[in-house]
Amino acid sequence: MTFRVRRHLRAAAAAVVALISVCPAGAQSAPRSEYEIKAAYLFTFARFVDWPPRAARDDSSFAICVLGTDPFGATLDATIAGAAIRGRKVSVRRISSPEAAGACHIVFVSASEDHRMATLGPALAQSGALTVSDMPQFADRGGMIQFVTAANRVRFEINLQSARQAGLMMSSELLRVASAVRTGGGPV
Amino acid sequence: MLVSGIALLIAGVAFAAYDLATFRSAMVRDLSTEASMVASNSVAALLFNDSHAAEETLGALRASASVVRAQIYTTDGRLFAAYSRDGSAPLPMPQFAPGATEMLAFDASSAYVARVITSDGAPVGIVRIRADLQAMYVRLGRFALIVAAVLVLSLAGALLVSRVSQRAISGPLAAVAASARQVSQAKDYGIRAPHVGTAYELTVLVDSFNEMLAEIQARDRSLQQAHDQLEARVRERTEELHAINSELEAFTYSVSHDLRAPLRHITGFASLLEQEAGAAFNEQARRHLTTITGAASRMATLIDDLLAFSRMGRATVTKRRVDLSQLVREARGEVWTDVDGRRITWEVHELPHVDADPSLLRPVMVNLLSNAIKYTSTRDEARIEVGSEVRQGEVVVFVRDNGVGFDMAYAHKLFGVFQRLHRADEFGGTGIGLANVRRIVQRHGGRTWAEGAVGAGATFYFSLPSQGAAA
Repeated sequence: MTFRVRRHLRAAAAAVVALISVCPAGAQSAPRSEYEIKAAYLFTFARFVDWPPRAARDDSSFAICVLGTDPFGATLDATIAGAAIRGRKVSVRRISSPEAAGACHIVFVSASEDHRMATLGPALAQSGALTVSDMPQFADRGGMIQFVTAANRVRFEINLQSARQAGLMMSSELLRVASAVRTGGGPV
Repeated sequence: MLVSGIALLIAGVAFAAYDLATFRSAMVRDLSTEASMVASNSVAALLFNDSHAAEETLGALRASASVVRAQIYTTDGRLFAAYSRDGSAPLPMPQFAPGATEMLAFDASSAYVARVITSDGAPVGIVRIRADLQAMYVRLGRFALIVAAVLVLSLAGALLVSRVSQRAISGPLAAVAASARQVSQAKDYGIRAPHVGTAYELTVLVDSFNEMLAEIQARDRSLQQAHDQLEARVRERTEELHAINSELEAFTYSVSHDLRAPLRHITGFASLLEQEAGAAFNEQARRHLTTITGAASRMATLIDDLLAFSRMGRATVTKRRVDLSQLVREARGEVWTDVDGRRITWEVHELPHVDADPSLLRPVMVNLLSNAIKYTSTRDEARIEVGSEVRQGEVVVFVRDNGVGFDMAYAHKLFGVFQRLHRADEFGGTGIGLANVRRIVQRHGGRTWAEGAVGAGATFYFSLPSQGAAA
């Protein structure tokens, strides 16, 4: 899909730039791509979610993992470079198995894993990480946040039950800006 | 009235100002709070670019009656979401001072609050709210009304009270004060203060005041009476005195005249007797005759003096400029017969001019000089000094001799009528001379006095008032 990046995307990017406080505000170049936005959102989700402590997870830093074929390329790394979430340094990891997700805070499940969701789903649910994906029906299948692109805008749907079951607390702010919130979940 | 009105006005304005100030700061606080809440509720919307959610958040401001417009901007100045109550004009993006997160502004009709929306310490957008100050102006108007009403009411009240007190107190007091002023200006003690008002103390005041005036009036009257009585008495006495004086003068004159006749007989027939039968008289008889004539002669002198004395009393004093030295020379001419060949040393000093009646003053000089001559007759070396002294307002003339003198104890008798300190056979003359001298000098407005000691001579003084000085 192609996205005509308009002022909205540029504004969001500007907001991100301000967040990062690396580049001077208003220093714009090319309009943001879809995955640039998604990368920014991934990063932003962390503000509105509380993770319970887990033995397997190192809470001294913040881990964003990508499971499957990485659609971001250098974008995700560029986005989180030098950034901090709640004072914690952010890192990106590529993982290949759901078990490894246990050490992550956020797991982005690539659309390439669509065919594996039946088995991935439960395992991911165990990991205690925030699961995000842009594959279709991700939220129906137990995923917590599903990116949805509508009218050239990147939105997302939330499966609150899945998040709760994983012990994650979601801010109502996040729920408000979600295009849809499911309280009934898919199969665990 | 004016003062209390102004005071009330100032108080009212002060209160209004204070109330408005607190009201405004409360309003500002509310706005600021609303901005904060909007800001924190819009973070997610800004971060996830959900303008709809942001508009929902702004929409909640509808509950605040004074909010007219609210807008959220992204950090690069683009309008992200807006809310407006009445379709008013959009707000421009505010410019923040570096480091400031909130900004307040006012214009005539509105208050503006702008706040930076931050997430995790970094700015993500700006919210700006505009509130209508209408409420404040309504309040101000209400206040002005209340202040005006209170002012009018309290002034009316004060006016009422002042009128009452005026009638009861200040009015009556002013009336008494006015009466007092009138009395002192016109010196009319017949004025009485009127009774105004019914307050007891005031009535007492007015009554006392009037009593005082009546006292003064009465005293005035009795003073006037006494004065009148005194005047009457003085007039009576003066009349009596005049009457007595004229009687006395008439008496003296007629007596002298009447006495003269028999005296002429005595002197005349004594002389005839001497002529007719003088040759047949023996020594004794001749001596008797001499005694008779001598006595008669003395009596004649006495009567003459009396006459002169009485005449002197009736004479008018016509003053003119008199050269005393000249007068003394003339007087000396008149008494040279008394000198009778005796050796007398005269010391006559320079004498000034005086204002006097020469026809009256000459006999005075004559009398004094002849006295001096007479009473130095016992001395081998008689010395008579005539001099003067100019004192303030008068000229004092003296005649000094080194004759027998007199005892100072009897000095007061010297100038009395018929008063003599020496026996007639020692020194001739009657006692009328000095009395005349005193009378004449007194008629000129002067004084007479004398100094002396027994055996050491005497000095006789008289003063005459000098020109321009009071007698």
